[in-house]
Amino acid sequence: MSYLDCGIVAIHEALVAKKTTPLELAKEALARAKASQDNAFEKILEKEALEFASTLIEPEADNLLWGIPFVAKDNFSTKGIETTASSNVLNGYVPLFDATVIAKLKAAKCVLIGKSTMDELAMGGTGTTGHKGITYNPYDPTHTRMIGGSSCGSAAAVASGIVPFALGSDTGDSVRKPASFGGLVGMKPTWGRVSRYGLFPFAPSLDHVGFFTRSVEDSAILLNALSGRDDMDFTSSFKPVEDYTGDLKAPLKGKKIAVLKEIVDSISDEHLLGLFASSVEKMKQEGAVVEKISFGMDLLQSVYATYIVISCAEATSNDANLDGIKFGPFYGGKTYQEVMFNARTKGFSELIKRRFVIGSFALMRENQEDLFLRAQRNRAKIVERVNQILSDYDFIFVPAAPSIASRLDGASDKLSNEYLIADNHLALGNFAGLPSLTLPLGMENGLPLGINFMGRAFAEKELYGVAKRFEEITGLEGLSTVNEKEGNL
Amino acid sequence: MKEITMDVLKDAAHRLLFTMSEKEYETLLEEFGILARQMEKIGEIQGLESYEPMTFPFPCENSFLREDVPSAPLNRDEALANAGSKEDGQIKLPKVVG
Repeated sequence: MSYLDCGIVAIHEALVAKKTTPLELAKEALARAKASQDNAFEKILEKEALEFASTLIEPEADNLLWGIPFVAKDNFSTKGIETTASSNVLNGYVPLFDATVIAKLKAAKCVLIGKSTMDELAMGGTGTTGHKGITYNPYDPTHTRMIGGSSCGSAAAVASGIVPFALGSDTGDSVRKPASFGGLVGMKPTWGRVSRYGLFPFAPSLDHVGFFTRSVEDSAILLNALSGRDDMDFTSSFKPVEDYTGDLKAPLKGKKIAVLKEIVDSISDEHLLGLFASSVEKMKQEGAVVEKISFGMDLLQSVYATYIVISCAEATSNDANLDGIKFGPFYGGKTYQEVMFNARTKGFSELIKRRFVIGSFALMRENQEDLFLRAQRNRAKIVERVNQILSDYDFIFVPAAPSIASRLDGASDKLSNEYLIADNHLALGNFAGLPSLTLPLGMENGLPLGINFMGRAFAEKELYGVAKRFEEITGLEGLSTVNEKEGNL
Repeated sequence: MKEITMDVLKDAAHRLLFTMSEKEYETLLEEFGILARQMEKIGEIQGLESYEPMTFPFPCENSFLREDVPSAPLNRDEALANAGSKEDGQIKLPKVVG
């Protein structure tokens, strides 16, 4: 283990004590990035990272993030650095400004060492659809298992110890599902808590900035740095920022936690169910009130279709600007329509095109009531049920996924209850805009399993409190392929 | 709702200014069949029509006005920096009017 494998506080203490330097950390992170076989990077920023790290000489004792290396998903605008969202339609596009979260991390003097791979335009959940091909799960050196997506490269980079944290984006579960498959803490804060200015939009009513870390404390430290009102994003909240590390020592006693019955009942993995039941017992022993309640089968079964219709409809509208004229490869044509036709036909993969057609069809006047508006009405009904539960309970607690990471060649039964319910429920947090955090539960055949806590709007501090105690129960803080653990459950 | 046929899907793709292979249209038709059945089931959820379509998780508090100060966020070179076809400080496209 090196300092790079420690948590942010320990790295900071080593930097302040001058036991290591930002340049040493950047060099080691870059060496690990270059040695990685998981296809986690769109671009490794060796020159830029070394140049910037070389300027960081005198440690800032009051800045926990000073000199810490990190990775950003390739849908965050980075000034002067090619940013493609893993799509050929944006090859060569170099943003003229930094996304707000990138600017904040730069201001904190974090060192960006690479832009990470993703499912094309963030529209996928497997980490297999980006223009650089499949991103692999670092826990499986045989490369037969997915890391999940869409924030696949960011998850792989943190899980394999390249960096202590990475930025991702989460529209359905794109941070929290790969976090489960990579044994990581994956956080999606409340909608509006973190500015999305400079994040390429996919479906703005569902899009969130999220991030991966290897501990709950690191996640809370990052939220402290990233949250806050930004006039450049009119959907960002005016709500005051708290110290999100404030509840990390809070006891579980008296916390009311709801387990959603239909989600647990739809899972067939006995090992996962056993670990999950043990974790519930441990929380009860510490005085938490944990109760299994019904969400409503019809509503849970409807999450997937509701998500697809809303997200595709929003995406088809947002991505109308990808036309090969203002940016992206220009292929020419006899008319301006043909110019756009060529750019979009050559630039988008077939999966993205199918999603755009679904979205466009849902928005056609004659279909709107039966598709788009019906999905939006159903979203309102689902959110009403989520908020009902959270008026009685502090948190909702469920397995983050029905199993360890799926095989890349595995056939999935997309209409089974296990798929429809246990593989898609994390979108509840996007529908309702609530803070939602995945963290490791245990291991199965050398691969991680994860759970998810969801809390009330803007109750991130409380969410980190319960997650921290859960992390102590499992003993899986700091998990990575460099620092393998089995867990206590 | 409009009946979903290959022709309808091809028309939708063309309106979106791209085309796909025949095989992809077939995959899409199959996907649409599944999605349409699921959306029909959602339509059977009791009382759904009484809900207002939800467009954002929370209301956005954007009732503020910035100072009315003129500014130029991008200069010409910056605005053209990512364009693939340009000439004399402008984006160049095929003629629209003869």
